[in-house]
Amino acid sequence: MGTQSSEPAILISGLTKNYGKHRGVKNLSLRVERGDIFGFLGPNGAGKSTTIRCLLGLVGFQEGSAAVLGMDAERQRKALLRSVGYMPSEAMFYPAMRVREVIRLAADMRGMDCRKEAQMLCERLMVDPDKRIEELSLGNRKKVSIVCAMQHCPQLFIFDEPTSGLDPLMQAEFFKLILEYNSRGVTCFLSSHVLPEIRKYCRHAAIIRDGSVVCTDTVENLTRTRAKHIRMLRDGKEEDFLYKGNLDALFAGFAGHHIEDITIEEPELEEIFMQYYTETEERQ
Amino acid sequence: MTFYRHEMRMNRRNLLIWTACVGGMCMGCILLYASLADSVQNIASSFSDMGAMSAALGMDKMSIATLRGYYATEIAMLHGLGGAMFAALLGTGLLAKEESGHTAEFLYTLPVDRGWIVLQKYLALLSCILILNVVCVALYLLGFVLLGERMDAGELLRYHTAAILMQIEIGTICFAISAFVRRSAAGAGLGITVVLFAADIMCRIIPAIEGAKYLTPFYYANAADIFADGGLNAGPTAVGALITAACLAAAWIWYGRKDLR
Repeated sequence: MGTQSSEPAILISGLTKNYGKHRGVKNLSLRVERGDIFGFLGPNGAGKSTTIRCLLGLVGFQEGSAAVLGMDAERQRKALLRSVGYMPSEAMFYPAMRVREVIRLAADMRGMDCRKEAQMLCERLMVDPDKRIEELSLGNRKKVSIVCAMQHCPQLFIFDEPTSGLDPLMQAEFFKLILEYNSRGVTCFLSSHVLPEIRKYCRHAAIIRDGSVVCTDTVENLTRTRAKHIRMLRDGKEEDFLYKGNLDALFAGFAGHHIEDITIEEPELEEIFMQYYTETEERQ
Repeated sequence: MTFYRHEMRMNRRNLLIWTACVGGMCMGCILLYASLADSVQNIASSFSDMGAMSAALGMDKMSIATLRGYYATEIAMLHGLGGAMFAALLGTGLLAKEESGHTAEFLYTLPVDRGWIVLQKYLALLSCILILNVVCVALYLLGFVLLGERMDAGELLRYHTAAILMQIEIGTICFAISAFVRRSAAGAGLGITVVLFAADIMCRIIPAIEGAKYLTPFYYANAADIFADGGLNAGPTAVGALITAACLAAAWIWYGRKDLR
């Protein structure tokens, strides 16, 4: 099946997907190494879900290639899905079914007995297996989705906006689980627009804008760019901006001004992210 | 067969309701025959003498003054129409409900072939149609026993085989529609059923559109024809089988390549 461990967990090259006249993703390339926790950042409509749907074979694509764990997303879809645990952003199930029936259905469709792992996950996420799906809130449906994605102990998790709807306690438990599975070698691909969780838990991240990846790096490097967050009190006026460039030029620009206070800091990931989404010119 | 069992469970309530409605209504009409028999005797000759309308309803071949004729012209029409509407409603929802209910992302990211899911859903459609018909026929037989009447088993078997084929054809047409749409097309399914039923009546009245008998499955599943002629009309039945196979193939091919949202 071509699942050599040297192959990256996800390898996308020149992926282009359009929905008729509407743009999905455009010439998107991405590489996620095995064992990584990878953040895929972008606002709604940037192409995050389309990328994931292409990877999982839910939609076809016009150009490029996509492989998961060394398996081609188009030709080896079934084998690929055996090794992946996916949690969609919407987390919808059959309303009349009970939680335990949904979890059992997901395991049976994989031809696996996952009762032990499922029970552990239900206990940790406080999922009531006897409730009907139609009785569950979005947060509780998300928890059922997490159990379905994790119970078969896959090699790769793909989570699409996993924490929306989860309360802070459950978010913490969810990431605790991610870190535990990751310590056993499971790769995690986390699509999100919640920057603090990417900053806190991911090692690498990519930023997607208008269907294309504009930046991929370690989260550490992304927050350590040449850009600096400048806060100062100049001529009695407070200023707060992101400066990217030579600091000599910045200080030269202060000549003739009265600088009462100044702090120069590494920017937050949020600010780096926003840089890619604003067309404002660099302030000198 | 995990998914087949799941699909059967999902549809069991609808199956129960439709079986009770169609079977109960037709069995009730069979039991009514005892009280209608005398009055029907008086109007049977006028019913058989209404020209084209009698031909359309099969009353030129069968007399409703007998239980056999009453069954072929009245009960079979109710059974055929009820069963066809059930098959249409079921068929139009089977594939589309995964996208309209947003469960496609759950189901189709499990390691199963889409084609396999399509076939298991189709198998569930066939099973539901079969169960509805078997239970209904059992209820009709009970009705005959309660009436103290006997019916020819061969005639009943031939008609109900044709009725099942007709329901399968309509169910499969609607199943194919379900593969192409993202929301349940229940209205379209019921509309198609009514149009095909009307086409059967029209092609018996208007000679210019007699060819429509090859397009409507109600033609080969007409109980009066089957009871009077002793068998199924081979041409329209064969065309019906081809339409069924083509619709199933279209659903399988299209759904296997479709972008699921």
